[in-house]
Amino acid sequence: MLRSITAARVATSAVDRAVLVLYVESVPTTFAGCVLDHIDDLPVLWRRDDRFKTFRLVLCWQRPLDERAAARALLPALLLHGTQRFPDRPALARAMERCYGAWAGPGVGRFAESQVFRLATEAVAGEFLPGRPDQLGEMMGLLAEFALRPRLEHGRFAADAFGREHEQALAQARAVIDDKAAWARQRAIALGCIGEPWAIPDHGGEAAIAALTPADPELVRHDFLVHGRRWCVAMGALPADLPQRLAAWLPALPRQQPLPLPAVAQPMPRAPGRTVEHAVMQQARIVLLFRFPVPIDAAGAAAMQVLASLWGGGPHSRLFREVREQRSLCYAIGAGGDVHKGVVLVTVGCDAPACPAVVAEVQRQLALLAAGEFAAQELQTAIATIVGPFLAVDDSLAGRMQFTAEQWLLGRDQEPGQRIDGYRAVSRAAVIAAAQSIWLDHEYLLLPEGA
Amino acid sequence: MSTWERVTDPVVDETVWCARTSRGLRVRVAPRPRFRETAAVITFGYGSTDLWFTDDRGELTTPAGTAHYLEHKLFEDEALDTFGRFAARGARVNAQTGFTRTSYHFTASTQFRDNLTDLLYLVGTPHITDANVAKERGIIAQEVRMYEDSPDYCTMFDLLGCLYGEHPVRYTVGGTVASIDAITAELLLRCWRAFYRTGNAALAVAGPVDPDDVLALAEACPLPAGAAPHRGVVADFGPVARTRSERAMSVARPKLLLGIKDATPAPTWEERSRRQLATRALQDRLFAASSEVRERLHVRGVVDDSLGAGYHGEKTFAFATIGCETRDPARVEAELRAAWQAPPPVDDEHLERIRRRHLGAFVRGCESMRALAFGQAGEALDDVPPFASQRLVAALTLADVQQRREQLRRDDAIAVAITRTAR
Repeated sequence: MLRSITAARVATSAVDRAVLVLYVESVPTTFAGCVLDHIDDLPVLWRRDDRFKTFRLVLCWQRPLDERAAARALLPALLLHGTQRFPDRPALARAMERCYGAWAGPGVGRFAESQVFRLATEAVAGEFLPGRPDQLGEMMGLLAEFALRPRLEHGRFAADAFGREHEQALAQARAVIDDKAAWARQRAIALGCIGEPWAIPDHGGEAAIAALTPADPELVRHDFLVHGRRWCVAMGALPADLPQRLAAWLPALPRQQPLPLPAVAQPMPRAPGRTVEHAVMQQARIVLLFRFPVPIDAAGAAAMQVLASLWGGGPHSRLFREVREQRSLCYAIGAGGDVHKGVVLVTVGCDAPACPAVVAEVQRQLALLAAGEFAAQELQTAIATIVGPFLAVDDSLAGRMQFTAEQWLLGRDQEPGQRIDGYRAVSRAAVIAAAQSIWLDHEYLLLPEGA
Repeated sequence: MSTWERVTDPVVDETVWCARTSRGLRVRVAPRPRFRETAAVITFGYGSTDLWFTDDRGELTTPAGTAHYLEHKLFEDEALDTFGRFAARGARVNAQTGFTRTSYHFTASTQFRDNLTDLLYLVGTPHITDANVAKERGIIAQEVRMYEDSPDYCTMFDLLGCLYGEHPVRYTVGGTVASIDAITAELLLRCWRAFYRTGNAALAVAGPVDPDDVLALAEACPLPAGAAPHRGVVADFGPVARTRSERAMSVARPKLLLGIKDATPAPTWEERSRRQLATRALQDRLFAASSEVRERLHVRGVVDDSLGAGYHGEKTFAFATIGCETRDPARVEAELRAAWQAPPPVDDEHLERIRRRHLGAFVRGCESMRALAFGQAGEALDDVPPFASQRLVAALTLADVQQRREQLRRDDAIAVAITRTAR
């Protein structure tokens, strides 16, 4: 049986809608090592940890990554222009500074082919500060301001705020080219994943930003709140009555009509594409986009992560040792990606003449791994590089919250220890199978002009 | 073996253990018995600006990029198989070189003693040969070129070249492809012998460790004893060498960076820290998100949220920066100069917010083993007592900020670097 907290709404003339909280406690349920409560159908995963003097809390809403990405990406900057209680950016910033440099505010991120709108807070708990201020109360008040009382005019964000942030978003999207590694990555994904949501950059795309109207951001905010799959995660120096305190304002959020999320797009293997572009720069940038079928279970995901570590996951990896250390072909090389999308990107910065040798060596190393040509010690080291940091996941509130949220999204009720056991159980055969499932889909080269 | 001094801050209720080994290595430990991760940092007082020194063989001038090259060669020790050994234990190990420091560090969840033993071994036992120095040259040259493709990095060093005509802070940390060409194994070993000494280093560890274990391992550190050599770098607090610099790169919008050079040295850590705090207070008053000055500039379309400010103060150089991206560098430069010359007053409410923000950041920092270890190693090297910054920020006065404002308002101390869009 789930713990549930039900709040009956009481309409009043007060600015804040008062709520009568009816707290129904039954057998505690846990998920991924956290307490799982439900407040007005909102799952709240939380964990008190008295090693910490700080707490973190995040409310999330998930929607598909689609043509509305640009409007969604603009949303946090617009919300930070003020609320009814804190009417401008300096007022909000000062409120947070007075709370000992706490942070409360909006953000937008992505998970595979979805976008996640977050209202998050991070603060030192009041009992560790002079005068024992109610830090949690202040921060939840700020979150409620963002969620319930943004500064709108006639149902949309103020025209001046929209104008400034719209221009700034365009400038930021164009400025990606200042960082040639980031630009190469963005271009490789855009070209390799044409027609797939994953091709949409974090900022939504320059053309999509340019086409935004002042009404769009509020429409996507409302869409997130009403149609988004939502959840809440909180950890650290939290009070025992956190659910009751959340129940005092969460029920004031709009009534939910969540919509399902589409499945992740996964193309079939095909002949690899190749793109060469040029820029004013000294070093060449290579991005090789490899694909694999999205693993259907935790064991498959663990095997793919171990393979990525073995292949290009750090200084212990094949790519670092063979391409950089043995052959001095580059300074920076690595492999990483998104196991939930089925993509791994090998990124390299090197001199232009070395590009063909680097590309060939990256593929040769993958072929060797697929043929089982790796030592038992290499496999053990690759596993250790994943397990080592994971053993300390509880030492970081941010890290533990991310793990919990990922488990929730995937519907995998594992504690960190079970995940670690999964990594340790990855076999040689599973790594070979993972390597054999990978195929090169797109080769992208950004070369210095004239090269 | 030396004894511990335990320093506890009553406000944040945190404790740091301080000691020196019998051969002079400063050691600090922040025990966190209920955490799993351990972070360790050993920092040396040797950085990219230490190009001239005198050792027992006489005066030596070294090429730009020497400290960084030495870091590469010690860290990527084929004899130790540095990467393989740390990785097999699930540890993350790395190193970094700055203007005045070189740091080697790891984080790990298991086998702390083995990891610390290896970290101390790699800095204390160089395996530098002509062959491995030559092999590394190509890799470092590519790293140098990678940084030369970074507009922000290039703009910063253009600015430093304006602020400093002679001081080596104007050289990039990694040097240039040409300067590293002159670096040899013999040179690197001579630099190692001069600077990699217990008296020029500090070790800090944070995590679930027994301080006595750390001290025992530090006692066995193979670093030679002794202090750093006499450094030839001359402090530069004079006028700026040039008032402006411009270049073109592949950027979407021009980048503008104003630099304000400190006119007098701050010989003690207290004075340097006080200056840093007061400068930041002044910069916050103008350019932080809580500032109405920043907001007005934003509303008028002069700047956007690329606007940022900073301060870097050392014994021989110190400067503040203000920078942003803009399509109209001339207009923005004039506006930022005007704002800097006539900042609004700082009041008690502003100072109190700064004190609170500082305290909050300090408490949060104590929950990161890595941040704790880095902070303590850096402070130990300068003999800054633990938690001293907390006391200094609590004691910061309006008069301190006002004095700082007067020190930094001089027009002849300002230079500007602009990176324009290449056509």
